Amino acid sequence: MRAFRKTTTAALGVAVLTLSACAGIDTSGSGGGLLGEFEPSERQTMIVPMSAGGGSDLSGRAIASGLEEVTGRTMSVENQDGGGGAVGYANFLGLQGNASHLLATETALVNLGLTQDVPFNWESFTPVMKVGQDSTVVVVKSDSPYDTCPDVVDAAKEGKVLAAVSGGATGNDAIQFGLIEKDQGVAFQRVPYESGGEAIAAVLGGHVDVGLTNPGEVIGQFESGDLKPLCVIAEKRYEYEELADIPTTVEQGIDVTFSQFRGVIAPGGLTDEAVDYWVDASKLYVKTEAFQEYMSSNYMQVDTAFGSDFAAYLKGYEAELKAGLG
Amino acid sequence: MLENILLGFQTSLTPENLLWCFAGVLLGTVIGMLPGLGATTGVAILLPLTLTMEPVTALIMLAGIYYGCQYGGTIAAVLIATPGDANAVATVVDGYALARKGQAGKALAIAAIGSFVAAIASLVLLMLVAAPIASVALKFGPAEMLAIMIMGLLTIISFSGDNLAKGLVMAGLGIFLSTIGMSSGFVEARFTFGSINLLGGIDFVVVMIGVFAVGEVVSQIGDGGVKPIRTRMRDMMIRGKDVKDSMPAILRGSGIGFLLGCLPGAGSTLAALVGYGVEKQVSPNRKMFGKGAIQGVASAESANNAAANANFVPTLALGIPGGTTTAVLLGAFVMYGIQPGPLLFDDQPALVWGLLTSFFIGNVILLVLNLPLAPAFAQVLRLPYRYLYPAILFFSMLGAYAVQNNLFALPVLFVAGVAGFFFKKFDYPTAPLILGVVLGPMVEKALVQTSSYADGDLTVLFKEPLSLGILILTVVIMLVPKLVGRFSRDRTAEAATPTPVA
Repeated sequence: MRAFRKTTTAALGVAVLTLSACAGIDTSGSGGGLLGEFEPSERQTMIVPMSAGGGSDLSGRAIASGLEEVTGRTMSVENQDGGGGAVGYANFLGLQGNASHLLATETALVNLGLTQDVPFNWESFTPVMKVGQDSTVVVVKSDSPYDTCPDVVDAAKEGKVLAAVSGGATGNDAIQFGLIEKDQGVAFQRVPYESGGEAIAAVLGGHVDVGLTNPGEVIGQFESGDLKPLCVIAEKRYEYEELADIPTTVEQGIDVTFSQFRGVIAPGGLTDEAVDYWVDASKLYVKTEAFQEYMSSNYMQVDTAFGSDFAAYLKGYEAELKAGLG
Repeated sequence: MLENILLGFQTSLTPENLLWCFAGVLLGTVIGMLPGLGATTGVAILLPLTLTMEPVTALIMLAGIYYGCQYGGTIAAVLIATPGDANAVATVVDGYALARKGQAGKALAIAAIGSFVAAIASLVLLMLVAAPIASVALKFGPAEMLAIMIMGLLTIISFSGDNLAKGLVMAGLGIFLSTIGMSSGFVEARFTFGSINLLGGIDFVVVMIGVFAVGEVVSQIGDGGVKPIRTRMRDMMIRGKDVKDSMPAILRGSGIGFLLGCLPGAGSTLAALVGYGVEKQVSPNRKMFGKGAIQGVASAESANNAAANANFVPTLALGIPGGTTTAVLLGAFVMYGIQPGPLLFDDQPALVWGLLTSFFIGNVILLVLNLPLAPAFAQVLRLPYRYLYPAILFFSMLGAYAVQNNLFALPVLFVAGVAGFFFKKFDYPTAPLILGVVLGPMVEKALVQTSSYADGDLTVLFKEPLSLGILILTVVIMLVPKLVGRFSRDRTAEAATPTPVA
């Protein structure tokens, strides 16, 4: 399997070299000339702390192949899932000072530290790049009596509202329902699901009243009219044409916002040169067409931040989440 | 319909698409053979390579990997008692028993034929009635899933051999192992003792490889002086009579597999276990199950293949992944700029029908590939065991590590291996253990969902007509033959012949 993966990455490397040659990026000679003094090793690894196939996995693979293109070095992807990401992050903790490993990160980086007994928090690592964020859409079945998010909240005040929660009791769905519950003084009856797909199936089948989803996963259901979006849990509306009509929670009088960031971190304890190298490479990556295409095909909002700016974002995010979960 | 199929074949029969279909199923067979490396990982690794291809070509290849894996997973299961893919776990029981009798070739051939028939049957259903079936599948809510899980748990009866008490002990142990780590629906971690690795849980694939493969190696060496298996050429080849005898099992397996495969969250592994469990209760040859019944292999393999194809029902008709591999494929759709969803069949007829017709082609290739290879692979068993077992151990360790790329898998593997040795020595059947580890989290999830859905009132199981129907069917299939057998069997004969399973 190792050998197998090596050949694929080697083949990828060749393809990438040709591509980057076409794009006019000079990858011949040492990487030092292009991206500062630091010289990375020949083989890089992108750790994905979630299983193959999820959103984290797709973003990790997209970013890894993009970084291969700009650095001219091969970067293989390794899934280390388990414990809602805890296993991957904990192993990453053991790679202190190792500049040839990156990790495809998202909100679990902060959530895990706040909700679980784990030996790390986001400050244990080196923030490199935030690519942008996903906002969550509250959805119901097309024939549901609810038309707005306050309708759902009012219903929960009077009776039972079944809410599909995927991603575990400390995942993003649970956190967002928790924030709404706290803000509005209501309680939803949570029905746990393994994956977002199962949760959407439950909404469509009428087994739960309301669900949460990233719009990229259900845009086809919106088009066919099987699912009805009620609101986006955010301050600003989506800019994508297909989603711009969906009002926000704030517009509807629910003072709850939450965004699911995605990005890349490096292990802690890196030299300044190494950090600069990855930050510079990331800045080159977000200028590529591949990046724009990845973001738009997944309906993600581009909002980049690098190095210390990403760290500042994480600090604010953590404080907000702490206050919200109270 | 006919013009859609024609349109499909026009797409799938271009030289380029044929070539990539072949490449996909071949790669799938190899990936399926290697323990620990399954279809999901295989498709995810190769996904970036396909970005420069035409979307339909890329999907044809990736789907080929997926169903090719279903064929490949069988090979290791039969030859060295290690399921190459989790879906092949039920195949081990009778497949390996047949191999010990020198009939590995036959087991592999019936697996290929069963897989093929199941694939074609489920494909026809997929083409004809994907949309209506998908909307029926959505009707399966928490209560219905819980009823199905109860059916799954009751197959412990089938996997326990003649000693049900031992089977229950093993299933209980399996369910206990599955509770380690984060739980569905609760914040608290269980039995982790502060260990991050335990927080990640015990992966059933690692337990499976440990108990089956490592356990088998330890007990073979423990017995000392293992003789290579003698095989005669006429036992290698499958005969027409074998196929005829297995056909009812194949058809039943296909039906069960298809139904379970349509339900998001049920999965092919469950389908294989239930397919085998049901067949063991209703087959005319049920007494031989566990001792090398060709119908056991046929039912498990046809069920997992039908389920794998049925996974495409919600995936294509609704845009909801039927399982983890189809979730990766849906991600691929998005990367190629194609929006999956209920309108896919109307918006992208060439793509959908090209993909579906390529399944026909791919499965024919797989059958042609696997039938002659079956006796060839079976020759591996003629090697002296001293050459065979280092290879088995090597691939077991590699496979266990590859599941989560975590070294913690190795101690788990060897503990499971040594435990497997003792299970075998004291005649504790291992299949119920795996059943427990696989089903534990699914049962718990369905239980928590149902409880939440119905305010803790579990009688909802008997109130919803669908779940009540499933429960009644379960009782009829699982308990009636057992009870009939109990009354008609000679009690002394029963006591004299205890039969271990796997």
